[in-house]
Amino acid sequence: MFQSEIVNLFGGRKVEVHHAGQGPTIVWLHGPHGVRRNDPVIRELAKRHAVVAPVAPGFNDVDELDEIRDVHDLALHYDDVFEALGLDGISLVGHSFGAMIAAELAAHVPRRVARLILISPFGLWRDDHPVADLFARPYTTIDRILWKSGEASAEMSDPANFPNDPVEKAVTIVQGLTSVAKFIWPIPDKGLRRRLPRVSAETLVVFGAEDAFVPPIYADEFAAAIPGARKAVIADAAHMVPYEQTHEVMRLIDQQFGGSVRAA
Amino acid sequence: MKFHWFHLMPYPYLPNDFKERYPSVWVDPPAAELYDPVRGHQVYNDYLDQLEYAEQVGFDGICVNEHHQNGYGLMPSPNLMAAALARRTSKAKLVVLGNSVALYDPPTRVAEEMAMLDVMSGGRLVAGFPVGTPMDTTYCYGANPATLREKYREGVELIVRAWKERRPFAFNGKYTQLRYVNPWPTPIQTPRPPVWIPGGGSVETWEWCIKNDFLYAYLTYFGYMAGTAVIDGYWETVERLGAEPNPYRVAFLQFVGVAENDAEAEKLYAEPAQYFYNRCFHVNPGYAGPPGYASIATIRKGVRSQVRDSAAQVQGKLLSWKEILDRGCVVAGSPATIVDRLNDMADRMKVGHLMLLLHFGNMSHETTLYNTTRFAREVMPKLRHRFNEWEDKWWPKDTLADIRKPAPIGIAAE
Repeated sequence: MFQSEIVNLFGGRKVEVHHAGQGPTIVWLHGPHGVRRNDPVIRELAKRHAVVAPVAPGFNDVDELDEIRDVHDLALHYDDVFEALGLDGISLVGHSFGAMIAAELAAHVPRRVARLILISPFGLWRDDHPVADLFARPYTTIDRILWKSGEASAEMSDPANFPNDPVEKAVTIVQGLTSVAKFIWPIPDKGLRRRLPRVSAETLVVFGAEDAFVPPIYADEFAAAIPGARKAVIADAAHMVPYEQTHEVMRLIDQQFGGSVRAA
Repeated sequence: MKFHWFHLMPYPYLPNDFKERYPSVWVDPPAAELYDPVRGHQVYNDYLDQLEYAEQVGFDGICVNEHHQNGYGLMPSPNLMAAALARRTSKAKLVVLGNSVALYDPPTRVAEEMAMLDVMSGGRLVAGFPVGTPMDTTYCYGANPATLREKYREGVELIVRAWKERRPFAFNGKYTQLRYVNPWPTPIQTPRPPVWIPGGGSVETWEWCIKNDFLYAYLTYFGYMAGTAVIDGYWETVERLGAEPNPYRVAFLQFVGVAENDAEAEKLYAEPAQYFYNRCFHVNPGYAGPPGYASIATIRKGVRSQVRDSAAQVQGKLLSWKEILDRGCVVAGSPATIVDRLNDMADRMKVGHLMLLLHFGNMSHETTLYNTTRFAREVMPKLRHRFNEWEDKWWPKDTLADIRKPAPIGIAAE
């Protein structure tokens, strides 16, 4: 189980931040599923790290999105979160929506992020390889496009991890997707390509080879746009690669951050 | 009670196997493959003739609406249709239902065009402002579902204010910034034309309509029996807010087919009804619920998307004429049958404005005129008196007594 705190920011904003484990600090920015109570990736990271996992605006309450109007506001919101937490030069891992936020933060405020791992990021667009429309399907069926098997892992669909009531389940999914939609509708290209050359963090881009939502060719796009970035494409995995190939992703995180992750 | 002749303007030549071959009638049915503009020329002109005919036989309003990339709704610009009707009619009110305000930047464009319609028509405009369906707004026009409603409401407030203010003003909104708001022309109706809000069953919409004195119109394709729950919710909200329970604050849409008897009704209306429900109303359910479009309160209340529910009902199966009648989607039969059913509707729903779909699906021009004539002569007079005890405050009041008719100028022989 994670420890959670509410961090107050100026302008009345409140951010829920989860903490788990001990060791060098690593920041985890979650994907479209938010932070589940027993998130298996955070649990794994927490074995060797002090994990800091803020919840994205909107995921707990869509009203939080009112005054975060675009990706610039979003990037600065995260800069405020880390300022409030006293974290600088951070080791940052983002998945999916969280990877887009991580890339935006690292581009807007390069000094805030020292080491960066983008897992299944979106935010770039190629007409010849369109990112699939995550929203043009009943939202209860998004797992079909996100997971290689077409359905969520047992742990991620565990009722202990996720509301059992169908209405509350729908509300949880919709709140998260509303937040994602707000920043990528109707096409996930809000100018990130122009900003990525600003990123100064040592960067690794990770994709699942069978990602049906964001085609893995975007690993090349991100790696080419970020100075010095490397890429890794993991077989037998899709958009949910950190949950589908957890050990391989952990190995890459250890390798990328190595002994250089500073003590908390 | 008032009666309005509503046209959806469907394309009547979708192929028989449309449902098998195409995933959706809306958003992405390939236009270049399915739509023939030469046939479309005839279709538009037939449809406009029908709306003009509705005025002649005594309908109070003639209604047009807005849809995009839609095989059953060929009016991406309802204002163009209303402009054509403004010149060719003089009595019926022009019920434009409406302009999806969030799609127009700046929204003052809508204030301008609607004021033009009001002036051209001599004060006959009813100004409808739907938020717009998810298909029209978020998928066809790329509007962000997370901000659509807020942008829409800001736009409606700007339009209404632009009509009321006596001096130019600056507007510093969240979605629209204008240094000089001063639309020309101004509408004839003061302080503004009546505003009608077509909406689904959302609690926030009901409250907003009541607080702003807007009429609430519930446009469902599934008839009054299925629609009663939504209208009940509206009346509960009226009571909760202490507003006047005036039937004229609500409008409802109903498909109707008038005939000599049940057998003739089936002969005339079964095919067009099945064309509509089985071919036209075939929408990919994935387009029905983009995240953020419905508020969390609405989701919690369990008011679900009409499209998704109905799509779930009809997806993959073909509705028979009997099922269409049993569900109450279409009210059809002899004039006496229809008067009974619509009296039942009036009793249950207390709706003062009845919008009629007397053309639906691929109904022929002749059948449409027959249906319209019989409704006007044999049904309307028997229901006219309903709700006479109430004043209709949501209807044009400043219509000019003397409407300038078109006066074509001939070329003198040389």
